[in-house]
Amino acid sequence: MSPIPKSTPENPEFRSGNLPFLAKRVSPTMMEVPASARSDMRVPVHVWADEELWRQISRDRTLLQIVNVATLPGIAGAAHAMPDAHEGYGFPVGGVAAFRARDGIISPGGVGYDINCGVRLLAAEVGHGQVKNRLEPIVSDLARSIPSGTGKGSHLRFTNADLDRILGEGCSFLAERGLATREDLKTIEGGGALPAADPGAVSEKAKQRGGGQLGSIGSGNHFVEVQKVDRIFDEAAADALGLWKGQITVLIHTGSRGLGHQVCTDYVRAMDAVMARHGIHLPDRELACAPFDSPEGKKYFGAMCAAANFAFSNRQAITYAAREVFRRALGEEDGGLRLIYDVAHNMAKLERHGAEDLLVHRKGATRAFGPSHPETPAAYQGIGQPVLIPGSMGTASYVLVGTDEGFGLSFGSTCHGAGRAMSRTAAKKVQKGNEVRKDLEDKGIIVRCASAGELAEEAPHAYKDVDRVVDVVHQAGLARKVARLVPLGVVKG
Amino acid sequence: MNPVPCERWHRWVDHTSEVQLEVGAESLAGLAVEAGRALGLLMLRGAPEEVAGPARILEVSSVDRDALLVDWLNEILFVAETESWVPVEFTVEESSPTRLRVAARGVPVEEVPSSVKAATFHGLKVEEHDGSFRAEVIFDV
Repeated sequence: MSPIPKSTPENPEFRSGNLPFLAKRVSPTMMEVPASARSDMRVPVHVWADEELWRQISRDRTLLQIVNVATLPGIAGAAHAMPDAHEGYGFPVGGVAAFRARDGIISPGGVGYDINCGVRLLAAEVGHGQVKNRLEPIVSDLARSIPSGTGKGSHLRFTNADLDRILGEGCSFLAERGLATREDLKTIEGGGALPAADPGAVSEKAKQRGGGQLGSIGSGNHFVEVQKVDRIFDEAAADALGLWKGQITVLIHTGSRGLGHQVCTDYVRAMDAVMARHGIHLPDRELACAPFDSPEGKKYFGAMCAAANFAFSNRQAITYAAREVFRRALGEEDGGLRLIYDVAHNMAKLERHGAEDLLVHRKGATRAFGPSHPETPAAYQGIGQPVLIPGSMGTASYVLVGTDEGFGLSFGSTCHGAGRAMSRTAAKKVQKGNEVRKDLEDKGIIVRCASAGELAEEAPHAYKDVDRVVDVVHQAGLARKVARLVPLGVVKG
Repeated sequence: MNPVPCERWHRWVDHTSEVQLEVGAESLAGLAVEAGRALGLLMLRGAPEEVAGPARILEVSSVDRDALLVDWLNEILFVAETESWVPVEFTVEESSPTRLRVAARGVPVEEVPSSVKAATFHGLKVEEHDGSFRAEVIFDV
């Protein structure tokens, strides 16, 4: 064995200390850090990665963070890091952990600040050949119709009473207002309305911060992208999803905006104050948590579900705007956009796994239920729940479906994207925003983004190779590849 | 309380996905002022041309001195996002290890140029060495 390097900021190659050297390869797609690696671990850590992704993941503090997660009370099975995992705060991004509902915890930091950040895929009636001369005005109209940027408000107006109904009823309320169809509700995770939502548990500050932002993208890595289906891997599954080669699709990536950010801020603070009373001692204060079966745990779960309903509704309101844009450009007959699926990647869900009810935290990870799971939408029974993996800006995105096998391997979870490989500062040193824009335009991708700085920070070279990440997921059996989508136009915050 | 700017500093440290701030000052109150200024400049993507308008009072109370720094920075984020006004100049009116009352002046913006979701407890350090203070904070962006 090689000498174990010291864990110091001066040795940035190994910021997780000796943990990379205590791990062993279990399969070509999985490494395990045994529960004996640190005395406070309750379960082992499973890192889903091939050699190259393992090399990237073991470089920063991802392993340290997921090992910290493995110490939390009531954790079941193993703590998981997905192939796109990278250092975050508290939980790593790409972290999955399940806690027994009867004696485990719930952690706002295990969900993240952007509650129910997620992805939604819409499929057009038309192929690339039919719209390629109209793409530029379509992308420009999307940029005008869908607000983007930090704190940017919505074109839609809702009363305070409406906001409470959105928090409580999610997309069902939007269907009542004509912003969603009943068909849409059938292909959104949880029907776009989590019944445990408690609008009363959402603070006035949270409502003030994000209440007016419904129907807006936000900033950072959030976007609306016009794409075409570039490749089909599984004809039968693609057919069941209604995807065909050359078809135009629209991918929406955003979350609960300022409302979710403030809910997380409020409850990290609240749980930090009560942990000692519950006898919980943590290796990292950002893992602040409370027993799920405690007043604080239940209240956060209600607030988190309400913020999740807001996020589903946010993507629904953007869908409404995108449909208007496509109808204006292509007419009623050709301008339709059918919702393929909407999936969360920052959420804690109460799920039955074997004989146990578990609260599965997925932070930067996607639920991926198989063909026979009762929560897989009726239209996709026998195929599997669609899993939507956006690539970095300018690279491919993927549609996969969950597997029954994956339910036992990773609590029915998979990756959520390419995963950052480079800091924002480093990304900006590699290439300036206007150079990134030119590179994308040289590839024929239409870019609408007001901020050159944001473009530089989100450049493709700042991310892992999404093709490799998805291949690991596919080979490991966590999900199955169905189709590859390539970008034609992107609207960014 | 008069600020002593020459004893205050901040720098941004590489982090794979978020942004990490290191900040130093002559006192805990100075630390809050410098960290708040750094956050304001981060949100504005650089120094403003001018700070306009009257000062406003921002107040926070917390369970301990580490939490006070996080809560203070989160209050700045809240005000910036809800009022399209990014505070960058601060005069401390009252301070204790668990409470801050600050007069803030800032910059009105149409929208906050750079997105910051929250200040976190992850890797949070507030330390005193030989009469000066130093802190590390990671922001979710």
